Amino acid sequence: MDFYMTFTMAETLEILKCGVKFDPPALVLNYKDRKTGKLRQRSMPLRNFNKNTGIDHFMEDLKSNPRHSKFIRLLSPAQLVRLLTIVKDKLSGLSLEASIARNDAMDSLNPEENLNKVDPETLQRKKLVMDSSFEKKRKRPGDPDFQYNIEVEFDTAAVETSGWDSDASNPDF
Amino acid sequence: MATNVQPDYDKPGDEGEERVKIICLGDSAVGKSKLVERFLMDGYKPQQLSTFALTLFNYKSQIDGKTVSVDFWDTAGQERFNSMHPSYYHQANACILVFDCTRKITYKNLSEWLKDLKTYRPEIPCLCAANKIDEDLNTTKKSFAFAKKHNMPFYYVSAADGTNVVRLFKDSIRAALAYKHNSTDFMDEIMKELENFELDPIPSKAKDKNSQDTEEDKKIVTIENS
Repeated sequence: MDFYMTFTMAETLEILKCGVKFDPPALVLNYKDRKTGKLRQRSMPLRNFNKNTGIDHFMEDLKSNPRHSKFIRLLSPAQLVRLLTIVKDKLSGLSLEASIARNDAMDSLNPEENLNKVDPETLQRKKLVMDSSFEKKRKRPGDPDFQYNIEVEFDTAAVETSGWDSDASNPDF
Repeated sequence: MATNVQPDYDKPGDEGEERVKIICLGDSAVGKSKLVERFLMDGYKPQQLSTFALTLFNYKSQIDGKTVSVDFWDTAGQERFNSMHPSYYHQANACILVFDCTRKITYKNLSEWLKDLKTYRPEIPCLCAANKIDEDLNTTKKSFAFAKKHNMPFYYVSAADGTNVVRLFKDSIRAALAYKHNSTDFMDEIMKELENFELDPIPSKAKDKNSQDTEEDKKIVTIENS
């Protein structure tokens, strides 16, 4: 195994680790089958994956692959893009350390960073990280506590200042 | 569905219904699309205006027994050009200004968005929304002076759990209708006179005679080619 990420997921199959192999390129999942309690590993070769492969398109193919889709959908899009990007970086000649540093930078959120000015790949990655958080908190129709119209009054009398307005140089705040 | 023609919001729709246009503004990744999608829920397919790289969502609403056709305009990534194509503002009846309450820069950039808006649509009502309050509920105990300073209604919202999203959009529709029934916007008149000519070069010059035209021109060309 060349590179690993660790996390868990509430499914029948619980992913323990996911990672990639480089030669030949493959995704590797370590998971636990909750029914049997057994630990297993699944290796999924990335066929025809090269340094020019479009990652979005490749992901769609993986998700619809009849043999792999039930494992692939356990990964969030953010995780899947990250792993495929690391493989692609390697195939493009980048060192693993450099690739991980680059991917860490794309996957981290800085409240001061202006995302209007970043390149499209970085913006897409940061949006995927935010989407993971969004999906975790999302309430959908059919969820027990879903309501279409939720109106909440927040007590504006007892507020403290956000601290975001103390900028004497900008009179707009 | 792709089309190159903007609807004319001054004219009634196919079934005689009144039409209003509401635009969303704010930085990349503050959740503008997710808010519109949460309000409309499933089943609404956005329409692409391919010439201008814009996305719009149509919504039919009953107001005082009359059908109103509302188009919510979304930026489709144009935030990257720092300001929007003039056609984005054309005939807009209200604006929803969104920031991400987990990212300070998106709050600070509200003043730029408001400046852009005031250039084209100085009179339209504007509503301000702090999105992603689900990330940290303490945010709702904090005050943000910008909205009050500029006389805008302010909403703590979450596109994820739905808090105050419907209220925000319903209020924006009411504001848009109220404005439309008593519109005095100067840019509308200008745009109307110029309707038979090229839409693009005039507003960019009218916008700010002192601005650097090269930057402005480049931006518009890029959008049209996309």
